Amino acid sequence: MMFRNVAIIGCGQTKHSSKRRDVSLPEMIEEAAWRAMEDAQVTPEEIDAIVVGNMQGFGGVAQPDQWIGDWIGAPGKPVMRIATGGTTGGSVGQGAIYAVASGMYDKVLAVAWEKHSDSKEPGATTGLLHVALANFFHAFNYGMNLKSLVATTVVGAAAGVAVYQAMFYMHRSGCRIEHFDMVAAKSRRNAAKNKYAHLQWPGCTPEDIAKTEMVAYPFRFGHICPASDGASAIVVAAEDIAKKKEDKAWVKGLASYSDEENQLMSESYGGVGILDASEQMGCRVSAMKAYRMAGITDPKREIDVAEIYQPFPSQELIFAERLGLFDEGKAWVALEEGEMEIDGRMPTDPSGGVLATNAIGSSALQRILEAALQVMGKAEEHQVPKEVRNAVAHGWGGVTNYTTVTVLGDSPR
Amino acid sequence: MPYLKEERPETLGVEGEWNIGAYTWKANRLLEEFVEGLKQRKLVGSLCFGCGKVIVPPRNLCGRCHRKMEGRVVVSDVGTVTCFIISPPIKRGKIKVLGMDPVEQGLIQEDEVIIPVFVKFDGADSNLGTLLIGADPKEVHIGMRVRAVWAKETRGELSDLEGVEPLR
Ligand SMILES: [Zn+2]
Repeated sequence: MMFRNVAIIGCGQTKHSSKRRDVSLPEMIEEAAWRAMEDAQVTPEEIDAIVVGNMQGFGGVAQPDQWIGDWIGAPGKPVMRIATGGTTGGSVGQGAIYAVASGMYDKVLAVAWEKHSDSKEPGATTGLLHVALANFFHAFNYGMNLKSLVATTVVGAAAGVAVYQAMFYMHRSGCRIEHFDMVAAKSRRNAAKNKYAHLQWPGCTPEDIAKTEMVAYPFRFGHICPASDGASAIVVAAEDIAKKKEDKAWVKGLASYSDEENQLMSESYGGVGILDASEQMGCRVSAMKAYRMAGITDPKREIDVAEIYQPFPSQELIFAERLGLFDEGKAWVALEEGEMEIDGRMPTDPSGGVLATNAIGSSALQRILEAALQVMGKAEEHQVPKEVRNAVAHGWGGVTNYTTVTVLGDSPR
Repeated sequence: MPYLKEERPETLGVEGEWNIGAYTWKANRLLEEFVEGLKQRKLVGSLCFGCGKVIVPPRNLCGRCHRKMEGRVVVSDVGTVTCFIISPPIKRGKIKVLGMDPVEQGLIQEDEVIIPVFVKFDGADSNLGTLLIGADPKEVHIGMRVRAVWAKETRGELSDLEGVEPLR
């Protein structure tokens, strides 16, 4: 394929917590952006273009890109905002990669964020509520009765699509709720080694998670990701610039995917096109394309670490299989055998992942950033204790199913 | 001087009506065919002439073939549960939906257990999300056979299909 080689040469993120009351939205984003530029040893003047994004309407701000420009060194430069729901950060990162790979720009800054606590609505879901209401009222036009609408929403709203997805996966793979306890405990333990993570719990055990309240079967309270305030940023540069840098992670392959499986109940009560919510063909197809571009033929052997988008523990298992890291329906067996631990054969989410830190718009960019840190050997306490030649980063967006897969490595393609 | 970051719990509220009419384009004409079918206690689906997929309720487009789903079929009102959720007993004051407490509004009884299910009706290739009625939570399982429960008097609206019940 004809495009320039590209590498990530700088990473920056903020500390994540439920409420960053010490900073305003642009101040929070500035923290991540400047840390990334410092890490890359570039000045804001040297950045050619900026790609930004967060969830549409979240944090109660409709057009945050118009507020943050001055704070991230944007004046006089092209700024592109990308919003693809939960996948946003993945698309923002890939947008910056496209911009450099095309030859259009040499150094591009990608910044993604969420500041949930600034919105008064529960879950800060201004944008989602808007869409959901429109769908609900549409159904009312066709005589949907309030009781059945409320009844289906009551349970679905707790963890939405992920509950259905987990049920499908358990049914076809033989995975049990105890495995979700294990994934959640692993995430809390890993996060305790990541100074930027939100939900940190050193020494957390599956038994600790099993003691938490059942929210909607099969999910317990301990299985659910937090809503975090935070931002992350990367600097992407062309090959000749990256070669001169000591620390870099080369982009070896990338792909993304959107499909009609994206709608659980479908738009406007039209039928759904997919039977099994855990099928996630988008992730499989994206991974295959990205690996081919990266020259990877056996991901089980050639991928050394994975950063998977997993707001719920079931998703770490489902997507790990879809990324080709484990056999179909067997990720939970590998989990039992310790393969997914930081020091395991195939460490997944050594940072703690989305289950530990979920500043939604930023979450999928964080996967790319964390994969880059692993390749550069700069993940500090949560660095996996082995040589990292290739790492895979995954992004996924809720009910509206966009997938991104990005493969990074220690040498150019 | 640092910026003033005083937390204001209430900032700005605006009273008035929110015109969701901006979304009238959503009115999917196929839903009219679907509810017309419900009136006759029939589940209408759309058939893709490209791949043979049948989707209930009908939709306009087959995403993977990218062609109009021009066929119409009636599928069975007997089907299989492909996925389910069993709620904890719903308590007053615990949850809010659309800004209201469904127990307080009398929509859900105190301590009622709700079982939303996905059903693949025989002849369909899609799931329909609905409620499982009159089942013991202990007997619910994937693969369970169920039949549509119809309103006593069907009027050509979505609530004509009240849910599904175990097929005995
Ligand atoms: Zn088709």
